[in-house]
Amino acid sequence: MSHAKQAEIFNKNEAKVNWHDKALWYVREKRDNSAHNVKGWEHLRDSASGIKAHVLSNLDEYLIQFEQNALQNGIKVHWASDAEEHNTIIHEILKDHKAEKVVKSKSMLTEECHLNPYLEEKGIEVIDTDLGERIVQLAKEPPSHIVLPAIHKTKEEVDVLFQEHLGTKASQGDPEYLTNAARKHLRGKFLNADVAITGVNFAVADTGGFVVCTNEGNADMGAHLAKVHIACMGIEKIIPKEGHLGIFLRLLARSATGQPITTYSSHFNKPTEGKEIHIVIVDNGRTEQLSREDFRASLHCIRCGACMNTCPIYRRSGGHSYDATIPGPIGSILSPGKDLKKHSSLPFASTLCGSCSNVCPVKINIHEQLYKWRQIIVKEQPQPVVKKSILKMTGTVFSKPGLYSFIGKSARFALKYAPKSLIYSKLNAWGKARDLPEVKNENFDDWYKKRSKNNG
Amino acid sequence: MGREAILKSIKNNKPDLLSIPEIDVTQFTEEVNLIEVFKNNVNLVGGNIKEVDPQDIDVEIKKMYPNAEKIVSVADECSLGTVQISGKTDPHELNSIDLAIIKGSLGVAENGAVWISENEIVVRALPFITNDLVIVLPKDQLYLHLLHAYEIIGKRERRFGLFLSGPSKTADIEQCLVIGAQGAISLTVILI
Ligand code: SF4
Repeated sequence: MSHAKQAEIFNKNEAKVNWHDKALWYVREKRDNSAHNVKGWEHLRDSASGIKAHVLSNLDEYLIQFEQNALQNGIKVHWASDAEEHNTIIHEILKDHKAEKVVKSKSMLTEECHLNPYLEEKGIEVIDTDLGERIVQLAKEPPSHIVLPAIHKTKEEVDVLFQEHLGTKASQGDPEYLTNAARKHLRGKFLNADVAITGVNFAVADTGGFVVCTNEGNADMGAHLAKVHIACMGIEKIIPKEGHLGIFLRLLARSATGQPITTYSSHFNKPTEGKEIHIVIVDNGRTEQLSREDFRASLHCIRCGACMNTCPIYRRSGGHSYDATIPGPIGSILSPGKDLKKHSSLPFASTLCGSCSNVCPVKINIHEQLYKWRQIIVKEQPQPVVKKSILKMTGTVFSKPGLYSFIGKSARFALKYAPKSLIYSKLNAWGKARDLPEVKNENFDDWYKKRSKNNG
Repeated sequence: MGREAILKSIKNNKPDLLSIPEIDVTQFTEEVNLIEVFKNNVNLVGGNIKEVDPQDIDVEIKKMYPNAEKIVSVADECSLGTVQISGKTDPHELNSIDLAIIKGSLGVAENGAVWISENEIVVRALPFITNDLVIVLPKDQLYLHLLHAYEIIGKRERRFGLFLSGPSKTADIEQCLVIGAQGAISLTVILI
C-alpha cells in the first residue's frame, strides 16, 4: 500500500492525529531550546558530519581496527552480511548457552532483521524492555518512531493493553501507575534472563569499546544481569576515537528529546570475569548504500529521530504509514535503497521544506536526497498521471531556480481557482483533514514588497 | 564468509579518503560558574543535588532516605552500608537493595552527568538495580563539557564505565515524564 493510502488510515481519527502532530512538534521545540543553549552548536554539527564522512571513506580500516581492539579486550566479534546471517549467528550463541529467555533493549537493527519472530519461532522468549517497545510488542505492532516507539498509542490504549497482559487495574491511563507496573513486570524478566541483546549507539575504533544510550536503564539492567551480552551494530556505527564521543553525545539526546544527555551512556570495553560479550557487525544493504554517491550520506545517521519530529508529513501521517523499520524522512531515503518497488511512494511523502536537513545533527542533506530518489523513481516506476505532471513541474522548478517565484504564483493561482477535489487529490491524504490557508490575492512576497513600499 | 565479503564490498564502494575534521574546542569555551551550572543541570535532569561537609555525609543521607534498610556503600566517605559486596557478588542478589552510595570520578557541568567507572561500583549492576542512588562527587572534579571530560577519562583502564545523568525515566506513555523506569528511581548527587 502506498504511503498516502496508509496515511489515510491514520487520519481517520482526527483527534489522535492532532495530538500526534502537536506532541511531536513539542519535542521538536524542546530540541530547539536545548540546541540554542549550547555554545558552538553548529561547530558540533559540522564536526559530526565531517567525522562521519571521513569514517565512511575509511570504513574497512576502522572496522578492522575496531575488531582487533575488541578481540584483545576479550569481546567476541561476528560479521553478518545480511539479516538472515545476523539472526543465525545470534541463535547459535543462544544455543551454545542453552538460553531460552532473552531480554532486549532498543535496537533498530534487530527490528530491521526481524530477529524477534525468528527467535520466537525457535521457542525462545524475547522481551523488549524499553517501555515504549514493550507496549508495541504487547500490541503486536512495530514501533512507529525510532526514539518514541509508542508515540501513536494513547494512554487509554496502553491501559487496556496492560490490563490484558500485565493484570493491571483500569486506571484511565495513569502514566505513573502503568510505568510502575511495567517496571515490576520487567524486573522479573531481567532477573530471569539468560542473554541480553542490545543495540550499539557508537563503536569506537581506537579502543574496541562501544556505547549504549538509554533513559530507562534497560540496556544496563539486561547486560549486567545476564551471563551473555550480545550487541548488534550496523557497520556505520564506527567512530575513530573515543574522544569523538564528546561530539556525538553532545548532539544525540539534545536532538532527540531536548535532554542535555541520555540518563545512561554506558561504555562497554571488557566483559566481567566469567561472562561474555559478543558483537555482531551487520551489513544488510549498507555497503550498497555506500556505493551510491548521492545517498551515501544517509549512513551518517545517528538515529536521533529529530527529522521525524519536525516533519509536517510524518507528524500527520504516523510512523506506520511508511511501512518500513525506519520511518520519516531518513527512512524515506534509506528504504528505497533496499526495495525501490515496495518503497517507491516514500520519497514523495515530503513537502521538501528542508526542515529535516535543518535539524539533522550530522547534517544529512535529507530533502535533497528525497528529491534525487524522486527522479530515479519517476524514471524507473510507472507513475499515476497526476503525480507525473506535478513532478515535471517540480523538476523544472528545481533545475531552474529562477522560475521559482513564477511557479509559486501560478500554484497559488491554481489553489484559488481549481475545484477542491483537485487540490485535495487522493495523493495528498495527509493534507486532507486540513483546509489549506485562505488564498489572498497576493502571495507573501508581493504583499511584503507592497508593504515595505507603502511604509518606505 | 560475512567478514571478508563485507570488507571487500566496502573497499569497492567507499569514496576517496576524506580528511578528518579539526575540532576547535575553543568554540565551546564559556566563562561560567561550573558548580552553579552543574547544579542546575542535575536538577533539570530530575536529580537532587546538595553541597555537604564530608563529615556530615552520613547524617544528610539518613535524613534523605530514612527508611532505607538494605544499604550498599562503596564510597569511603560514608559508613551507612549494611550489605557488603565484592567483585564476586552475584548481581541478582542486589535486587533487594534499597539504597546504594557510590563515588563519582568527575561531573560534567553542561549536562549534569557524572562519570562512574567499574572500580567505583564494584558490581556493574549496582547503580541500576538499586532502588535509590547517591553519588558522592568532589566539587573540584567538575568540567564544562563532554569533550573536556573525555580528555580526563582517556587515561583510565577501560573495562566498564558510564556517564549517568539523573534518575531513570521514561515518557513513553503519551509523552508524560515518569521518573523511575527500569533503573534507580531517584538520584542524589552529594558535592563535597
Ligand atoms: S537523519 Fe539526522 S535527524 Fe534524522 S534520525 Fe538520522 S541523525 Fe537524526
